[in-house]
Amino acid sequence: MKEEISEGRKKLEEELRHLIGNIFVPEAKVFGMVCGCTGFAADLRGLQYDDVDVFREKISAVLEEISKSVGVEPEFVYARKLPGSEEVVTLTARELCERCKKEFAGSKASPRPDIVVLKKK
Amino acid sequence: MEIFLVKVFTEGKKVVDKTFFVKESFPSSFGKAFLLKKRFVLKEKNLNDFYRTTDILNRPMTRLMVPHPGHFSALKEIIEAKELEEGLEEVEEVFMGGSPEVMGSGRGVLHAPLIDEIREQTEYAHQHDIKMNIVMNSTCLGGHHLTFEGYKMFKWYFSELNKADVDGVIVAEPYLVELLRDFPMKTIVSVLSYVDAPQRAKFFEDLGADVITVDTNINRHFPLLRAIVKAVNCDVRVIVNEGCLYRCPFRYFHYNLASHLSSLNQPRSPLFAPDFYFDKCINIRLRDPTQIIKSPWIRPEDVKEYEAIGIKSFKLSGRTKTVNWIIECMKAYSHRSFKGNLLELLDCPQMLRFVFYVDNGKLEGSIEQWKNCKKICNECGYCDKLTQEVLTSIK
Repeated sequence: MKEEISEGRKKLEEELRHLIGNIFVPEAKVFGMVCGCTGFAADLRGLQYDDVDVFREKISAVLEEISKSVGVEPEFVYARKLPGSEEVVTLTARELCERCKKEFAGSKASPRPDIVVLKKK
Repeated sequence: MEIFLVKVFTEGKKVVDKTFFVKESFPSSFGKAFLLKKRFVLKEKNLNDFYRTTDILNRPMTRLMVPHPGHFSALKEIIEAKELEEGLEEVEEVFMGGSPEVMGSGRGVLHAPLIDEIREQTEYAHQHDIKMNIVMNSTCLGGHHLTFEGYKMFKWYFSELNKADVDGVIVAEPYLVELLRDFPMKTIVSVLSYVDAPQRAKFFEDLGADVITVDTNINRHFPLLRAIVKAVNCDVRVIVNEGCLYRCPFRYFHYNLASHLSSLNQPRSPLFAPDFYFDKCINIRLRDPTQIIKSPWIRPEDVKEYEAIGIKSFKLSGRTKTVNWIIECMKAYSHRSFKGNLLELLDCPQMLRFVFYVDNGKLEGSIEQWKNCKKICNECGYCDKLTQEVLTSIK
């Protein structure tokens, strides 16, 4: 697992640099939440909402691939913006618990304004 | 006496007036004017005067203000949910954060709407007969508002909000309450003005408040609430689902910090504990779950007790929460009924719902105790006993 997470971080950074430019991925992690959700998340610097919007499909595909490699089914893939700005600070692929399927991912609108939904299964 | 909304009059997309049907009799001062018609047209402001003058407490005109996270698609979904389901007529207003470039607010800002977007969203809300309020309830402006630059900026921003047809602005700072007198928008005094006594309510009314949101710390102090309702002519509003600690020692400091962190006026060095107060608050409750029961939340079923003392305006807290959570809360409070873990409805702190289960059904009747409670907890012990009956840890 350790290797897959490190590889995933590196791969994401490389792909984003290839697509956009000088993007930095300081940290990637696999997480488990109290509600039952699990996921893969990567912290980012240098990425903006416009970049995500333009390369939505490609970024989502890379995240899905990394997510699967660490054993997380990417049911809900999203970017989180720094509130009130266009800076994207986290990319996440999440395997959802029953509650979050409804509460977090169940609305037609993005669940919160700082969340940019890239893919919803 | 009962009053029913009959028809909404519009000019283009803007609601200009409403027809109300009045059933049964009228107090004499209004009798001559309205008795013959039994159906009359009143502007809302006049209707409010009518209520005040006649001191009608049983009118079915309760108003619920719901949070809006800020993005347009969320507003559409909230309004769609309201319109799709019967029994949500009380939902009359939404509120969302303003621009952090102007000032921060009591909650984290997840969206920074520009004036054009506020205008667009307000227009949409009005098309659906929903009022739009903008929250600007920072508790610390660092003195900026008292500089000429600050004065001009706030004046300009209020003027732009007014041009955008915004219905009300929620502020905490008394200076801004006064500044808003120059605009026709409603001045809504925030819960962060900590209005907890008739005297303080009167101060704010005299400064220009149209609505006063009382300090949640007095949500269960019925004699005080009654006295505030009596002391002022403006609307008195309570927040129903805030789960903050009763008489929290961190409250003022937490909101001051939040006000800075949600604005451009940030601390100069990075904070070693940006969520210090929140972490303390959670830890206290984990160690002493009775504090969850003592928090001044109001069950959906108990809203009627507040209506009975003349409070008709209720606010749901939670503008940093997800759209679907907001919609579920809106339904529970509109229907005055909820089955399950009460912590599911509380805005803050939401994470406790994963640790504790508070059986809402078992809380039935507790309001009778709280209505008359002297709040001397060490002598009473009611909430300690109740906690044992209604609260369980989730395995």
